Amino acid sequence: MNGPPGARYPDVIVLGAGLSGLVAAIRLAEAGLRVVTVAKGYGSMRLSPATIDILGYRPDPVDSPAQALPGFAAAHPEHPYALIGPDTLADSVQWLKEHVGTYAYVGDPGENMLLPTAIGVPRPSAVAPETMAGGDVRRAGPLLIAGLGVLKDFHPSIAAENLQAATTAYGRAVQARPVMLHPSANGPADVNSLGLARQFEDGAFRSAVAAELRAAVRGEETIGLPAVLGMDQARSVWTELQQAVGRPVFEIPTAVPPSVPGMRLARALQDRLRRAGGRFVFGAQAVGPELRNGKLAGVRIRSAARVTPRMCRWVVLATGGLGAGGIEVDLSGAVSEHSLGLPVHAPGPGETGFLPGYLSDHPMDTAGLRVDHTLRPVGPDGEPVYPNAYAAGAVIGGARPWREKSGDGISLSTGYLAADAILKEAG
Amino acid sequence: MEEGRNQNVRLGGVAATGAAVECEVLVVGGGSTGVGVARDAAMRGFSTVLVERGDLATGTTGRFHGLLHSGGRYCVKDPQAARECIAENVVLRRIAADCIEDTGGLFVTTPIDDPDYADRFVAGCQATGIPVEEIPVAEALRREPRLNPRISRALVVPDATADAWKTVWTCARSAMEYGAKILPYHEVIAVTKDGDQVTGVIARGQDGAEVQIRAQVTVNASGAWAGRIAAMADCKVQISPGKGIMIATNHRLVQTVVNRCVMPADGDILVPIRTVSVIGTTDITVDDPDDWAITRTEINQMLESGENLVPGFTSSRAMRVWGGVRPLFQDHAPAESRDVTRAHAVLDHRARDGVGGFLTITGGKFCTFRLMAQDAVDAAGKVLGVTRPCRTADEPLPDSQERRFYQLSSRLAEREQTLLDEQLICECELVRRGRLEDEAARRPAPSLDDLRRAVRLGMGPCQGGFCMYRATGILHQTKHLSGAEADRALLAFLEERWKGYYPLLHGDQLRQAWLDNWIFQGVLDVQHLPLADQPRQQETATGQAT
Repeated sequence: MNGPPGARYPDVIVLGAGLSGLVAAIRLAEAGLRVVTVAKGYGSMRLSPATIDILGYRPDPVDSPAQALPGFAAAHPEHPYALIGPDTLADSVQWLKEHVGTYAYVGDPGENMLLPTAIGVPRPSAVAPETMAGGDVRRAGPLLIAGLGVLKDFHPSIAAENLQAATTAYGRAVQARPVMLHPSANGPADVNSLGLARQFEDGAFRSAVAAELRAAVRGEETIGLPAVLGMDQARSVWTELQQAVGRPVFEIPTAVPPSVPGMRLARALQDRLRRAGGRFVFGAQAVGPELRNGKLAGVRIRSAARVTPRMCRWVVLATGGLGAGGIEVDLSGAVSEHSLGLPVHAPGPGETGFLPGYLSDHPMDTAGLRVDHTLRPVGPDGEPVYPNAYAAGAVIGGARPWREKSGDGISLSTGYLAADAILKEAG
Repeated sequence: MEEGRNQNVRLGGVAATGAAVECEVLVVGGGSTGVGVARDAAMRGFSTVLVERGDLATGTTGRFHGLLHSGGRYCVKDPQAARECIAENVVLRRIAADCIEDTGGLFVTTPIDDPDYADRFVAGCQATGIPVEEIPVAEALRREPRLNPRISRALVVPDATADAWKTVWTCARSAMEYGAKILPYHEVIAVTKDGDQVTGVIARGQDGAEVQIRAQVTVNASGAWAGRIAAMADCKVQISPGKGIMIATNHRLVQTVVNRCVMPADGDILVPIRTVSVIGTTDITVDDPDDWAITRTEINQMLESGENLVPGFTSSRAMRVWGGVRPLFQDHAPAESRDVTRAHAVLDHRARDGVGGFLTITGGKFCTFRLMAQDAVDAAGKVLGVTRPCRTADEPLPDSQERRFYQLSSRLAEREQTLLDEQLICECELVRRGRLEDEAARRPAPSLDDLRRAVRLGMGPCQGGFCMYRATGILHQTKHLSGAEADRALLAFLEERWKGYYPLLHGDQLRQAWLDNWIFQGVLDVQHLPLADQPRQQETATGQAT
């Protein structure tokens, strides 16, 4: 895993292939650094609805993340957003929009859209794929929520009823009604989102869906479909379907993995990184720092049951939080970080990590690394553990991403900022 | 067979009428004992009604490890209980084969155990009639390669595993076929009396409506809650609820029931049941059968005990922890919980308290539920002045007529038949969509937790992460749940599941929990479900789906 021919080792090893790792890696590679991304799996983006949620609740609903962030950061000094200025956030969003190829994104941190979820909750997202934005219930007219009989991960009836109730509670009632489509009568009864995305790239299948939708749609209805409208050709599938039906169509993320929009985003960013000269090593895991004279000189990488030191000048730790395995909890309740062996801020053994109520604010929710203003993980003394190690994404503690609807904004902006810090040092 | 035909039975019909119900035998409690009593009484031709405050088998019955004892566990300490266990073990294999997996059982002497106990164990088995055979350690390790290689002795007994839910549901179905009325979600709020004679109960249904049930004899089969029901009739029954905790791992570490060959202790049984292994258990006396907690210390103690049976146990994926309370009966002041007999007792309150028409059946174990029911109905017959023979020891339960034991692989065989034709709603437990819809159709207002027990939805490693959105959507689409009911059912399930695993969250199961959080809170945003807080009256006004 050397860099380009002639180079002895890469400039940067990025650990993790989720949103934050890919953003950092692309920026660094496009700036001319030699970057190797080492990832245990394919990255958590494939589980994500691929909206860029910046701040949705604090816990009251947030209309404008840009306006809310300064106050939110002041009230939560240990939150990653306390380190991210509004300009950095806006720059990172702009950067993303310019780097996702044909999979276009719309929106900005200035205001949240309210996009329906598969169970019909209008969910705040500031930035989203253009294929989803039409579902913004702040602007949408009457909705026809269409499911596919073969897809068990999207249920239009509950989505429509909840959506109508929720928008009524918000004071702008949106009429929503369900319909179930059965475009292929003879196929298997059980097709997942990825299988359907492939079928949607077939023109005959699309025509059958369009015919059913034309028969079902009434008047000025906008049509919501599960987010399975094609994979690599999503944009043309979506455009053609709207033309064929004669009504606007938008996508609603499905609940259960795999997430087709998440796969589209992951593919778009991985392609971008490869084109910029970045390299991937998948199925490999960092198991500790490689130290020379007490300094971080590389990372010990386990791959195929062998541990090898891999040298580099900088490390970006983007291994994710408790969900991705970047932070781990053992039987005794001890919380640790294994890639570089960094100190974790979390409830310790014998302390309360979880409360009895599912939706409570569990102390363990915010477990993660503490970092300085350039995102270098710090020890208990507040000083960086290594001057050349940076953290990005969910491995940084202090946030409750799914509660705040802040995870994508944190990952995007910290990945962006970590790259900034390295580029400044690299000169 | 995998699924039974319990879907032919529809529950809870009587409540809707709100009218008074008359019967000869009224059973309070829908655990294995109560349902056993109802079936036995109905088979003997008594008109029978059963009331249960929650769903069937949600008290102690649905919360045990699934071990169908050979009696070996009690053969030294409690020979009476051991004799009852082995006798009923034989009977249940005959009448309830479809609910039983014939795993066999091993008692092994581990390095920390008294090596001389095995001789007393063999003598105890022989004295109580339990078939026992010593096998070489090497043979035991061949059969169970994960076992601690340092065991010094291994004894084979006819332990097995039983699916408690399936047993109770099938018994209930049989009882109903014989004319019994089974009323889950009917909580007894008063025992009615005429002078010194109990005349029945008043029960409150799920909708808040009260129903008066008049009976010639009322059988209190409420297990650990028996003291409470007895007190409503001004009778005293001293139950010392003994809490036991169990932990399920995400797959089967052993294929045979493995017991430590010692006097009954904590964490000394490892039970392979369905797709999981369950380690149990503890025994701690608690004051209130509804109010107790599971501590981290207990959990760690249980997992470390597992390490002694199966090295590496602590690093296996612990999926869920739960507890049950045993109904340990005693006539005197409570002693150490483990010292109270596991044998059962039928109390005629005419003799004890001067209250007629009222019996309590208590103590006992899941394995002896049929015998307990037989004794209770014999006593009820005496009160009614009618003697009719018990037939439950010979007549198989529905689905068990062929006397073929349940096999784990049958679920795959059934799935294969519908592979392309039907959706799989729960991949972990192979629950088909039709199965879910049929089960929902049998219930007036299905909760997802009831369906979890009934069809094992969400019981596997992902603990409902993948199937619960699907189930909620399907039940709404098929009009089994209104929007408000669906929102509440999903949140209630998530709360219930969280209770089952938050005390032990660590390692891979914690990562699973985080993925599930991401699905429900991150992607679906269930915190903001709009109809969850809608008042129930309003919901009825908008038309409750049935």
